[in-house]
Amino acid sequence: MRLGVLDFLDERLDVRRISREFAEHRVPDHVNWLYCFGGITFLCFMVQAATGILLAFYYQPSVSTAYPSVLHIMDGLPFGVVIRSLHAWTANIMIIMVIVHMLRVFFHGAYRPPRELNWVTGVLLFFMTVTFGFSGYLLPMNQLSYWATKVGSEIAGAMPFVGQYIQAFLLAGNKIGDDTLTRFYGIHVIILPIVLSMFLAAHFYMIRKQGIADPL
Amino acid sequence: MSPEMNHSHDDHGEGGVPFLPDHFVKELAVITLILGILFFLATLMPAPMGLPANPLKTPLGIKPEWYFLSVYQILKYVPKTVGIAWSFLIFPPVLMIFPFFYRFYARYKYGRLIIHTLGALGVFLAVFLAALAYLGFE
Repeated sequence: MRLGVLDFLDERLDVRRISREFAEHRVPDHVNWLYCFGGITFLCFMVQAATGILLAFYYQPSVSTAYPSVLHIMDGLPFGVVIRSLHAWTANIMIIMVIVHMLRVFFHGAYRPPRELNWVTGVLLFFMTVTFGFSGYLLPMNQLSYWATKVGSEIAGAMPFVGQYIQAFLLAGNKIGDDTLTRFYGIHVIILPIVLSMFLAAHFYMIRKQGIADPL
Repeated sequence: MSPEMNHSHDDHGEGGVPFLPDHFVKELAVITLILGILFFLATLMPAPMGLPANPLKTPLGIKPEWYFLSVYQILKYVPKTVGIAWSFLIFPPVLMIFPFFYRFYARYKYGRLIIHTLGALGVFLAVFLAALAYLGFE
């Protein structure tokens, strides 16, 4: 009797059924290149996770160390320029891809019942992606970061009634300082990756459960 | 899920192509292309470092990132409270829940057309406002 690794795993975890489900499910004929933007967004997210983890090894979130640490990544580390540039470029391209994906779903009417909930998770994923961009923009602590964050937090601060509280929460105080950096850093590298991954899982589960929408 | 709710193809039926290898090969091609573009941009146009943050020196023509430009521009034309209420409190929830009214508006002959036209106008307006902000129009 020959017992391979696959048999061992199959008896315990039913891996053959799972891999068959993955490999053999059929993709409808009407799926064309317009359907690839959601997948490209996910690819961008994985590039961001990989490059972001590498950057996190060297980045130091405080007003006095942030800029020099990013400079060190750029000038002092092998491929540091490429890693940081990939992270910066992919951030922008990810947002473009989310928007194009949303437009595709919107104009194909793929949001219609029974897929309303997947549209809701998708819109939330869009806002999370934008928040990712906003929180990451401050981290290098250069002139652009500082003033974009100042303008952004002032816009939030002008919200009726709750504005000043939202602004104080965002900045962790009344001006951009050490606490702002660690707050943005925590949101950028801990909260958003966890929350976005959970919503992504729900997004993908619903696609598999409900299938790809027929054209209008 | 009732049968009339499920518009999807039968995943294991006759229609379509199998995910492996037919569709997966195409996905690999797209992944390769996109990674190629990303590396091309990152190596030939590295992210600039800029000057270190200086709270005492406001640079000329400060603008938010490109994806906030349309919101930024709206705030120049309408009262701040209105613009912010629209951008943060009205638009996102409306965008999120409109599909739940599909059965209501799709009953009408032009219901879907009207919703999609509104969407197209919104996209056009957002791009137009962002372009104005980018070019520095007041």
